[in-house]
Amino acid sequence: MTGWFDIFRAYLFADICWYKNNRWLLFSYFIWPYLMVALILGFGSMFGSIESYSERLGVSSPILFLLSSTVVAMSSISIVSSVAEFVIENRWSGTLPYIMLTPVDMPIIFIAAGLPDAIISPLITMAAIFPAALYLEGLSGGIRVLTILIFIFLGMLPLLGFSALIASLTLIAKEESNVGQIIIPFLLLVSGVYYPLEVLPSILQFIGRIMPVAYVVEAARLFSKYMIPEIRFVLILIYILTIMTVAYNLLASLTLRGINRALRRKGVV
Amino acid sequence: MGNSERLIAERGFGMTEAIEVKGLIKRYTSSLKKGWFRREKIIVEALKGISFNVKYGEVFGLLGPNGAGKTTTVKILATLLLPDSGSAKVAGYDVVESSSMVRNNIGVTLTVEKGFFWKLTGRENLKYFGMLMGIKGDNLDRRVNELLNNLGLERLGVSDKFYEEYSLGMKARLSLARALLKDPPILILDEPTLGLDPPSARAMRELLIKLAKEDGKAVLLTTHNMFEAEMMCGRVAIIDEGRIIALGGVDELKRMVARRVIIDIVASGVPIGIDAIKDRISEMIEGNVGLSLDDEGRLRIRILSRTGSEESNLAEAIKILSDLSIRVYRVRLEEPTLEDVFIALTGKSGI
Repeated sequence: MTGWFDIFRAYLFADICWYKNNRWLLFSYFIWPYLMVALILGFGSMFGSIESYSERLGVSSPILFLLSSTVVAMSSISIVSSVAEFVIENRWSGTLPYIMLTPVDMPIIFIAAGLPDAIISPLITMAAIFPAALYLEGLSGGIRVLTILIFIFLGMLPLLGFSALIASLTLIAKEESNVGQIIIPFLLLVSGVYYPLEVLPSILQFIGRIMPVAYVVEAARLFSKYMIPEIRFVLILIYILTIMTVAYNLLASLTLRGINRALRRKGVV
Repeated sequence: MGNSERLIAERGFGMTEAIEVKGLIKRYTSSLKKGWFRREKIIVEALKGISFNVKYGEVFGLLGPNGAGKTTTVKILATLLLPDSGSAKVAGYDVVESSSMVRNNIGVTLTVEKGFFWKLTGRENLKYFGMLMGIKGDNLDRRVNELLNNLGLERLGVSDKFYEEYSLGMKARLSLARALLKDPPILILDEPTLGLDPPSARAMRELLIKLAKEDGKAVLLTTHNMFEAEMMCGRVAIIDEGRIIALGGVDELKRMVARRVIIDIVASGVPIGIDAIKDRISEMIEGNVGLSLDDEGRLRIRILSRTGSEESNLAEAIKILSDLSIRVYRVRLEEPTLEDVFIALTGKSGI
């Protein structure tokens, strides 16, 4: 009998093959965080010093924070893309009906299929910045980025459910709309990836507060500021991400279950 | 006990009916664009109460022109689409109520030209789909190797090439390999030979016949190729505009047009549209007329004529073609084929 682990295993295998067969893509994953940080620092220096940026963000190591934020951003983009664009990409390649023929419920397919990417993508980008963290901050820098990696993993779990909700929008949209491409820039905007959430208008701040990525960025800020932050702040972040994991995945599961029957009636797949 | 029956008994299918379809109806709500923002809703009745059954060990053909309802039927049987009314059972399970059980018992091919990941090799693609189906460890590797060998992809040296480098024939073989991964008792194949070159199509047909006869599998295939259906299928259903207009053995259907003869004319140099030519011939002779243009632009005319009137009909047709300056270079009288049955039943010019 096929279960969620078979889906996870199949996608882990496909993802590894994908990276193995597209080595330049893998290479770009290693280069990308450094290019992003160089770009932000380059533009940022036109408006103020690195010290004022550090002061405004409340971090002691702005470059470490920027590198970590880039990992958060890249992992988030990757997970939202792979789950939210799951439908559209598989529809284009003609694989969607065969995936849907798997004798497993549709919500399980969507979430289990995104899980390998939620693990692989942060691991690759974190591996890319690890040497820089060691170089800039020594052993403490290395430990900090590894701690942030744990938070990124935690943040990817609710993001899977959130992305599955976006995927359901793609499924019911009558056009070949790539909803994910609209959501991603907005998600990065309201999550405070490159600047504090506090500078945004209150409505965007509110939306940011219900986005799991915002809390991963918060963790990155916290660990960029302190080697050992206050335990209550860490626990609050863990609680929020756990609640969001349950809430988003449950909501996605219920939505996709409802959509599944409607899709089979309409014949979209 | 024949080989198929023995295999059916051995595998414990416990029944001879692999697929049972009763009064299946499917309507689609479609929209017609009336401008940038305005759309008009239209209801398309794709299936109008079709019924048929497929037995284990047989190749059953669902024949019909484009838009007849073949793919809709396949999608319903594969549990990808819900019917509006009627019932369909596959391997004894209802396609609506027990879709997971149906999926465990079928192998499906919808289109042969796509359906795999372009940047994965044939072997990687098969392993990925095998994992999705829950096949594990050594069993998966063994099954993938076995299928790559049996379907000739290993011999062609393409098992470890990217899918994007595959020819259409190779893609079709890989599609069938995926359908066979679980070794399902029932195969549901939508136009499995569409677009294949003659040797690839022949190899595919032979393989499907072998799967039915030797392995006892039930094979339901759709096609609009009458020759293919005649060659492969024990029984066929001719479907047109959502209705089954004929159902039975190939010989049985051909007897429907017994006491008739086919005038087969091949000509070239067509100055006007083929519909106009058909109208002129139909006006002058008694019998069903089918016209088509082949890949080389030659006109093929098939007239289903009553025995006894074939000579006068032929003379009349030649005269019309001559008046239109169309050069006739082959005329032949034949026994009716399945295509002629279709023309006789629908009045359409073939598929």
